[in-house]
Amino acid sequence: MPHATVTDAGVVVPWTARGPVAVSFDGRYVWSFAARRDGRRTTGGWRVPWPDVLQPRLSGTTRVRLERGGATLFDSAVAFGGRPEPLVLHDRHGHPLAVDKMGHFTRVFSETDDDVRRRVAESTRKALVDLREAGYDAHLSYGCLLGAVRDGRMIGHDSDADVAYLSPHGSPADVIRESFAMERALRRRGWKVVRMSGADLKLLHPLPDGRDVHIDVFAGFHVGDTFYLLGSRSGRLPRAALTPTGTVTLEGVELPAPARPEEVLEFLYGADWRAPDPSFRSVDPAQGVHRLDGWFRGFRTDAIAWNELYRGRRAEIPSAPSAFARWADELLPPGAGIAEIGCGNGRDVTWFFERGRPVRAFDFSGAAVRQTRRRLERAAGAIDDVGALALNDSRSALVAGAELARTPTPMSLYARGLVGCLDDEALDHLWLLASMSLRRGGVLLLEFPATGTAEPSVPARLHRRIDPSGIVAGIRRRGGLVEQVEVGPGQDFFDRHDPRVARVVARWTTQESR
Amino acid sequence: MSNRRTARRFVWDAIHLPRRVRDLEAAVVENRQLNRRIAELTDIVAELLVPVADRDEARLQELLSRYRADTLAP
Repeated sequence: MPHATVTDAGVVVPWTARGPVAVSFDGRYVWSFAARRDGRRTTGGWRVPWPDVLQPRLSGTTRVRLERGGATLFDSAVAFGGRPEPLVLHDRHGHPLAVDKMGHFTRVFSETDDDVRRRVAESTRKALVDLREAGYDAHLSYGCLLGAVRDGRMIGHDSDADVAYLSPHGSPADVIRESFAMERALRRRGWKVVRMSGADLKLLHPLPDGRDVHIDVFAGFHVGDTFYLLGSRSGRLPRAALTPTGTVTLEGVELPAPARPEEVLEFLYGADWRAPDPSFRSVDPAQGVHRLDGWFRGFRTDAIAWNELYRGRRAEIPSAPSAFARWADELLPPGAGIAEIGCGNGRDVTWFFERGRPVRAFDFSGAAVRQTRRRLERAAGAIDDVGALALNDSRSALVAGAELARTPTPMSLYARGLVGCLDDEALDHLWLLASMSLRRGGVLLLEFPATGTAEPSVPARLHRRIDPSGIVAGIRRRGGLVEQVEVGPGQDFFDRHDPRVARVVARWTTQESR
Repeated sequence: MSNRRTARRFVWDAIHLPRRVRDLEAAVVENRQLNRRIAELTDIVAELLVPVADRDEARLQELLSRYRADTLAP
C-alpha cells in the first residue's frame, strides 16, 4: 500500500486512494475527505488542503492517522507549525471537536457518549411530538433516519439531528407562510428557534454536558411531480413514500419515520445509501438548487459572520462613543429621543442614553442585541428597548416602523455604518421604516464609507462603500427630504482613518410616503 | 437582400443570446423571490392588521409585543 504524507498545508494521498479517507488525531475522528473531489492531482498523488476551519488551529503535535476502507495510509506523530506541545482540538467545555459534513467545526456524534446520544434522540422525539401535535406531518430525516435504518444508532460523523415535514402546499409562498406559523408555534412551546431560510428552522435544545443539540427542521413539498426538500434536494418522490408515517428506533428511542424509509433514503443519498461514507456530499440537481435558492434563501446570509465578528473581535471594536455620535448629539435638541438602527455593540446608543435621551436600539445580529442590552443594563438597570431588526424581512421593518411611530415623543433615527451592509431590498425597507416613524418629526442621520477611493471598506466582505447619490435617490423615492449631504475624511468601523465618509441628514414631512 | 437581412438578424440574435439568457435568469430569480415577499405581507396582515381593524389600543399594543417576541426574535 503506497503511503501518504501530512504537512502543515494538507495531506497527499496516493492516486489509488479514491474512496473516502477518514482522518483522526490521537485516535479521535477529526475530518474526512474524498481525494478526487476535494484535492488536486499532483505528481506525488492527490494533494488535499486542510479545511479552512481546521487550518488556523493546527499548531502542536499529535498522532495523525489516515484510513481508507480499513487500510492505513498514514500513522505517525506530526508537529504542526514545528510546535512540540500537544495539539488540542476542544470546545470551551473540553469536548473534542471535528469538521462535520457541512464544513463546520463542531462536536460530532462519534465523540458523544451513549447517554448523550440517547438524550439527543429524546430531544428529537420531543421536537417531532410538538410538531405533530401542532398539525405538521413531521418525521425523522437525513442522517438520523439513515443511522436509525442502518443500525439504530446515530452516524458517527454527524453533528445535528434532522427532521422534515411534508407540507400540503404546492406554492413556495404558502410553504414560507406555513413555516412562519410553525416558528411561532414552536416558540410558544418553549423552543429556542433560529430561522435558517424561508422554509427551514434550527431548534436549539440544551444538553447536560453544556452544549446545545441542534435539530434542523426542513420543509418538504411537491410542485407538480417534483418533490423539493430543504436543504437542496429535488427529484421524484411520491407522497406515499412519506406519509402516513411509520416508526423507527434511534438510540433506543422510537421516532416517527417516513412511510417507506428505504425509498426516502435513496432519494436523499442515492442507491448506495447502505454503504457508510463519512465524506459523503450530495450532488443536488442544479435546477432544483436554483429554485430553492430563489424561493427561500439569500436574506440572512451575513448573520453568522456578524455574530462571529461581535463575539470574536470584541476587544478590537471601540466602546467609546463615535465621532458621528457626538456630531449627531450637537445637531439634535437636548432630550430628543434617538433610535439606533444597527446598534452593534451599543457604544453610541448607550452614550445617547447617558446624555439623558430616550433611546431604542435595533440590530440584525443576536450577539449585537445581547451586547447592547448588557451595556444599557450596566448604564441604567433593566431596560427593554433593544430589539431584533432584519431589514430584509418586510415584517421586521414594518413592525419596527409601527413601534417607532407610537413612541410617546418622536424619535430621530441614527445609523452609523449600516447602509453599506444592506442590499437593495433591505435599503428600501430602511426608507420605508423611516417614512413610517419620522412623519411626526425627528430626522434620519446616516454615516457610511463612501465611494470615490480605492481604500477597501471594513469589516471586509460584510461592508461595501456606497455612492451617496444612490442613498439620496432611495430616500426621495420613499418621500423623504434630504437636507444635508457631506463627504470627507472620517473613521471606519474600528475608528481607524477612512479617507471618504459620507453623512446624510433627511426628514419626512406629514405627506404620504410614496 | 431579404436573405442577407435574415442572416444578419440570425448572427445578431446568436451574438446576443448569452446576454438574453443572463437577463432571463435574473428575471426568474426576481420572480422567485416574490414568494417570500408575498408570504411576509400575508403573515403580517393575518397576524397584525386584521386584529388592528378592531381599533382596540390595548390589544394592539399586546399584539405588537407578542408578534415581536414570537416572530422577530434574533
